[in-house]
Amino acid sequence: MTNSMKEFEDSGCIFVIGSNTTETHPIIAGRIMTAKEKGAKLIVADPRNIHLAEFADIVVHHRLGSDVALLNGMMHVIVKNGWHDDKHIEERTEGFSDLEEVLEDYTPKKVEAITGVGCVDIERMAEMYAGNHPAALLYAMGITQHTTGVDNVKSCCNLAMLCGNVGVRSGGVNPLRGQSNVQGACDMGGLPNVFPGYQPVADQTANEKFSNAWGKALPERAGLTLTDMVKGMGDGRIKALCVFGENPKLSDPDSGHLDHVLKKLDFLLVQDLYMTETAADADVFFAGASVAEEDGTYTNTERRCMRGNKAIDPLGKALPDWDIICRLSSAMGYAMDYSCPEEIFDEMTSLTPSYGGMTYERLGINGLQWPCPGKDHPGTPYLHKDNFSRGKGKFHAVKYLDPDEMPDEDYPFFLTTGRMFSHYHTGTMTRVSPHLHSEQKSGYIEVSPKDAGDMMLNDGENVRVLSRRGQIEVPVKITSRVGEGLLFSPFHFRENPINRLTNPAFDPIAKIPEFKVCAVKLEKIAE
Amino acid sequence: MNMMHEIVKEWLEQEKIDLFIGYKVVDGHPLPCFFTRENIDDVDNLVESKARYPLEKIAAKVYSTHPEMKIGILARDCNQRALNVLYVWNQLDPEKIETVGINCCPSPAREHADCSYLEREPSGPLKTLIGIENNLKPEQAEVYSQEERFKRWSYEFEKCIKCYGCRNICPVCFCKECSLEHSDLIKKGELPVEIPIFHLVRAVHMAGRCIDCGLCEDACPANIPLRLLYREVNQITARLFDYRAGTDSGQSPFSILGENVTLEPMSL
Amino acid sequence: MDYQMVPSICPYCGVGCGVLLEVIDGKLAGTLPLKTHPNNEGKLCIKGWNLHEHVVSDNRLLFPLVKEEGRFREVAWDEAIEISAKRLKAIIEEFGPDSVGVLTSAKMTNEANYLIQKFSRAAIGTNNVDHCARL
Ligand code: SF4
Ligand code: SF4
Ligand code: SF4
Repeated sequence: MTNSMKEFEDSGCIFVIGSNTTETHPIIAGRIMTAKEKGAKLIVADPRNIHLAEFADIVVHHRLGSDVALLNGMMHVIVKNGWHDDKHIEERTEGFSDLEEVLEDYTPKKVEAITGVGCVDIERMAEMYAGNHPAALLYAMGITQHTTGVDNVKSCCNLAMLCGNVGVRSGGVNPLRGQSNVQGACDMGGLPNVFPGYQPVADQTANEKFSNAWGKALPERAGLTLTDMVKGMGDGRIKALCVFGENPKLSDPDSGHLDHVLKKLDFLLVQDLYMTETAADADVFFAGASVAEEDGTYTNTERRCMRGNKAIDPLGKALPDWDIICRLSSAMGYAMDYSCPEEIFDEMTSLTPSYGGMTYERLGINGLQWPCPGKDHPGTPYLHKDNFSRGKGKFHAVKYLDPDEMPDEDYPFFLTTGRMFSHYHTGTMTRVSPHLHSEQKSGYIEVSPKDAGDMMLNDGENVRVLSRRGQIEVPVKITSRVGEGLLFSPFHFRENPINRLTNPAFDPIAKIPEFKVCAVKLEKIAE
Repeated sequence: MNMMHEIVKEWLEQEKIDLFIGYKVVDGHPLPCFFTRENIDDVDNLVESKARYPLEKIAAKVYSTHPEMKIGILARDCNQRALNVLYVWNQLDPEKIETVGINCCPSPAREHADCSYLEREPSGPLKTLIGIENNLKPEQAEVYSQEERFKRWSYEFEKCIKCYGCRNICPVCFCKECSLEHSDLIKKGELPVEIPIFHLVRAVHMAGRCIDCGLCEDACPANIPLRLLYREVNQITARLFDYRAGTDSGQSPFSILGENVTLEPMSL
Repeated sequence: MDYQMVPSICPYCGVGCGVLLEVIDGKLAGTLPLKTHPNNEGKLCIKGWNLHEHVVSDNRLLFPLVKEEGRFREVAWDEAIEISAKRLKAIIEEFGPDSVGVLTSAKMTNEANYLIQKFSRAAIGTNNVDHCARL
């Protein structure tokens, strides 16, 4: 996030797109409600009629995957009416004229045809967002999990820059991270092309720096993303896979395919807390420690690096994650002999400028928000206060593209996936928790009352859902959360593995698969 | 070392208590902490704390596994009231509890919860318009017509994210099987929660029990005026049965350091 | 009788709420919100309130396993590590370091993530390291 969570309470307008905030980030949802009660305007754009929508000033349900069109439509209206922030654009951005040219085309009428959102609503959204400064834009996986994910993000940034909402308190562009340490995993270089702190592996200076620090010549060519690794497993280029604390078998699109390629591996190593679907295929299983059993830091969605403290010794023979990795690395001939996580942290901060000023002692309980480059730097609640990291903020002229797969005669329904409030990710951690499990014990698929009526489906009845990639059976939940022609299903439940159906087509740059859109058909199961 | 430290040390040394539950500051954050004879010098770090946690609930947890322990507790007025309820319901044995009372509220003579911790920032304009201002007194809430009240409360309940935090933090919620989790009573697995059942079930269960500490409201991510809701319910109990949960007529005056609770628990 | 309240971070969503882990006699007994934490100011969602349950669950697998002829066998750590190192080394020798892929975790600590990518780049010698957070 460019900004901090607490700041939202003082926003003039909050625009939530592609985030079911009350269920997936409930504490942020609380802040949004407080902001609203204090007088902020709230705009919610989501294909489903989510809980947060009940509190919004304007709610629109745009067609799945039509985010770029919707955002361009808003910007069209803003520019037409001269509501944009000329001064900000002039002083701090570049590329505006290219964007302007593209926007020309996105008249409310055209956008209505693509998104299903009425012209009047598009105009109202534009006016509300532009007219209530500072406006914070919040998004989650509903923006990123598309073949056009990067375009979607760029459009969000365009909108924020257009109205001078970047580099201001209570504004900004704020992706809500889905997992506790996504931010940290990326910051730490858990990516194929960068070292910690986003220093490119291909950059000679960076590569030399890390090669020297680690006492080994490091590869300069960027590696494979997960999506490409899956391909590599299929064609035999990848022979071994080490999976630390993840369960891709349930979380990946077209999981039937993944199932198949995992079996082709010569060696699969899995480290986890439980016997997950992925772990069941492993050759070796490492028993890792949970959050309560080890010291370490986590970086949350607002870039705040915080300490988690060990409360109990690892249960059974489980070992702290860092310890396991040290042992494995040493056994492979590359010695790692750290005595505690703090030592690792100190090595990391010495190589990562944005974390450079952090120490365990300084973090305390509250943590620090990066960038925090020096020992007396107080951390950074919001980014780009005076300048953009790459100099001027760049507008990207983005055109709308359809999702990879659209409903047709054979597969007439849109299917989208996501989370529900008491579960998390592939359910490994939440389904073993009695209180969370008792809220929702099985998977389900949301069907609109109209569609359920047409197909004579009853609530709770098992139905077959088919896509071009596979089929599953799942109980029906009849609800007006979804409109006609739209289905939703959470992906936490292994008995109803919805990712058998999802489309592995991915964004060409971010390589994020299109979990949020695919085409399916429903079949009543004969009694 | 202040008077509070002296008393706690004395009690520990004389084996009047086996442990003392209070607060200690860690990295700038006051956290609940146990002080023991073995580590008596640590008592110098005992503080009153600006943040309140349900210390008596922690004591009840200790009691359930170590019934022989004699426990000292740092007790504000709300803790005292909660303790009295826990005695009534046999969750704690008054014989085993000693309290060091602290005067945390600014006014010398006060009703339940007329407490400095509970006054919140005034609500925003929208909340005043369509919801319920958290600082209202029950009488003030009565000015709304029936219909309007229902609308306003519905708006508040609608915000609930079903964290169950109000129940989890409540010092006097200790039922093994909680009605809020009965799927026959309240539908599971959905947000918003069933309105108004979820909140009414809890409110009804708080009748004659809620001691108006406000911890539930503090813990509510949706800022629902829960304390007001339970106060309304409790007013009915007070009117009908002349019963006020957790209050004892003979409670010691609110000195900086009170005496231990010596009262007979009231029966229902 | 030993009682500790250990401040920590909720491991679920990216908000990173401050929690207190309640430890009684060395056992994890409960979770409370950290009332003075800047992120959540004493509030948690249903997942945070119950986070101790996933730790103490009977479903935890608490020892390393090695698969032999399709069946898992419980082994000591040294054996599990040694087998893994041997297999990985053999594959690297035959097919090169880029035949190995590593997935880090968006749930593990920064320290673990740092080490995992260091392990991939320095010990294995590949940049084939990614995380599952796109998912
Ligand atoms: S005010 Fe809330 S937390 Fe306190 S006793 Fe009443 S219901 Fe329980
Ligand atoms: S604390 Fe608030 S949000 Fe949580 S369950 Fe209770 S009323 Fe609902
Ligand atoms: S308590 Fe809930 S909102 Fe807070 S970090 Fe955990 S999952 Fe996220």
